[in-house]
Amino acid sequence: MARDRGELNREGFARYKDDVRKEGKPFFPYGLFHDTVMSLVVVGVIVALAIIWYVDADGTEAGILGPWYAPPAEPGTTEFIPRPDWYFYFLFYLLRIFKWPESVFIATVGIPTICLILLIGLPFYDRRRERHPLRRPVAMTAALLTVVAMGVLTWKGATAREALGSELVLAVPEWAERQGFADNAEAVRGAELFAQSGCMNCHVYLGEGNANLGAPDLSAIGETNDATYFVQYLTNPAAFGNNVMGSYAYLGEENLAALGEFLASSKGPAGD
Amino acid sequence: MATSKRASVVETAVLAPLDWIDERTGAVRGTKWFLFRNVPRDISWAQTLGSATLTAFIVQAVTGVILAMYYQPSTAIDPNTGKPVAYSSIEFITNDVTLGWLVRGMHRWGASVFVILLFLHMGRVFLFGSYRYPRELTWITGVLLLVTGMLMGFTGYLLPWDQTAYWATVVGINLNGTAPFLGPWLAEFLAGGPEIVSEALPKWYALHMLLIPGALIGLIVVHIYLVTRLGVTSPPWSSEMAGRERAASEPAAARTGLVRKSGGAS
Ligand code: HEC
Ligand code: HEM
Repeated sequence: MARDRGELNREGFARYKDDVRKEGKPFFPYGLFHDTVMSLVVVGVIVALAIIWYVDADGTEAGILGPWYAPPAEPGTTEFIPRPDWYFYFLFYLLRIFKWPESVFIATVGIPTICLILLIGLPFYDRRRERHPLRRPVAMTAALLTVVAMGVLTWKGATAREALGSELVLAVPEWAERQGFADNAEAVRGAELFAQSGCMNCHVYLGEGNANLGAPDLSAIGETNDATYFVQYLTNPAAFGNNVMGSYAYLGEENLAALGEFLASSKGPAGD
Repeated sequence: MATSKRASVVETAVLAPLDWIDERTGAVRGTKWFLFRNVPRDISWAQTLGSATLTAFIVQAVTGVILAMYYQPSTAIDPNTGKPVAYSSIEFITNDVTLGWLVRGMHRWGASVFVILLFLHMGRVFLFGSYRYPRELTWITGVLLLVTGMLMGFTGYLLPWDQTAYWATVVGINLNGTAPFLGPWLAEFLAGGPEIVSEALPKWYALHMLLIPGALIGLIVVHIYLVTRLGVTSPPWSSEMAGRERAASEPAAARTGLVRKSGGAS
């Protein structure tokens, strides 16, 4: 008569305990010895990394393992590459695959939640008793695909190149000409601020910058609203239902006015 | 029975106090239970990854405590350096504290090693199919450890208050903000306002050095208790796998072990 899985499981575990008691070796010292050797290797690797990092770098000057520290945080500026620690690159890169506001949600919450549920639930939906990898082709294929996907995403995240504010600002005269605001000094100053304030990590402007987190292309944003509106928008994006963009109130009224003027003057190159 | 003088000295000086403690706590029996339990005779090096992860965590805990003695979670401008206090304290640890660079370097790189080991350990458990009955809860506490471990990395990253830290965290918080219901609220809480402001730093510090490690330690204790109670699995390809199925004629534990005398005769 076929016995049910619970019964087989319990019998198997009873057999396991019996075998371990009769044939096993005591954890101390046998298991603990291997564990100790491995732990020493781990500590050795950590110390070695710390030494290489310290010796090769100098202050804000990076060595092969990066600098001791970057310059102090400055909310209002310019040359930074917003990038998490390497083990979040896969998430970070996932964000660039999903661009519109509706689907960003898939990358930030949807996929990670599904992965976590699949991971937690593993013992409950994979209920065969077979443990040998070669006889679990589905599980091994899924694992291999996961490893490859994480690897590729991490690699892409690591090599994704963010434009720096200092590079983008060089394009401002060209923008001014194409948009026709070259003789509007305030708009030009706004454009420089725009290039340097990290806006283009999310927004594309005349083909430059990155489309991220569902931020729209701003090349022709001036068609939609006027400068006053933009100043209000930048002061508190959350009030306009935008919870992705932080507030730029700290830039100060004068700078915000310049930004507003710039945005309002950006009517799109084709329009005039 | 006559006991030598030496033996009775040992008895009163060492065994008696231990026994006193054991009678009240069970600590000695517990330690014996942990250390002198049997493990399968065929366990492999891959099965040291769990304790290697634990070692990496202990390195983080020890170096973290030392860093906490010097680190100051404040964004006010330090009048002496003209830089934020948190940033200056990181500079101070790196440049002035004796071996401070080593402690900070170990903490910083230990975090990466810890995360790598978490994944390797999980990979070996997956490969061995060790998450099956009766070890489902061991696996679940493990997944929770993976998440909390990554959160440690995320919250620690902001603390130096340098450009990399700040902007990485801005992006991270914004990601939080896209979640429904709690998302925007969480983002606002973590950022201390619509943008990351100075009150945010102490919050992140509290999360990083109290709340999350507390949770992590609790989970580790449960995890290792379960591992000890249930035993670790043999490699699935081993011919002497503990718990293997046997032909009806072959009695359990029929072979003679190398370490202990065993077998059907005993
Ligand atoms: C973290 C990413 C991010 C950054 C940085 C960012 N934005 Fe945005 N921005 C967005 C997103 C996402 C939207 C769209 C929100 C929506 O559709 O509700 C948006 C919308 C806008 C809009 C409104 C567009 C419209 O359709 O009305 C303007 C204007 C704008 N951003 C300007 C700026 C400026 C100027 C900066 C820099 C000072 C900036 N943004 C920085 C993500 C960002
Ligand atoms: C701080 C993190 C962790 C620590 C300190 C830790 C520690 C350990 C130790 C010491 C063992 C026994 C030896 C070994 O198998 O290596 C073990 C086994 C185990 N771990 Fe972990 N672990 C951690 C994270 C995880 C994670 C992320 C998972 C999976 C999601 C996991 C799942 C398991 C399972 C199922 C076992 C039982 C394996 C068996 O019986 O063969 N653990 N853990």
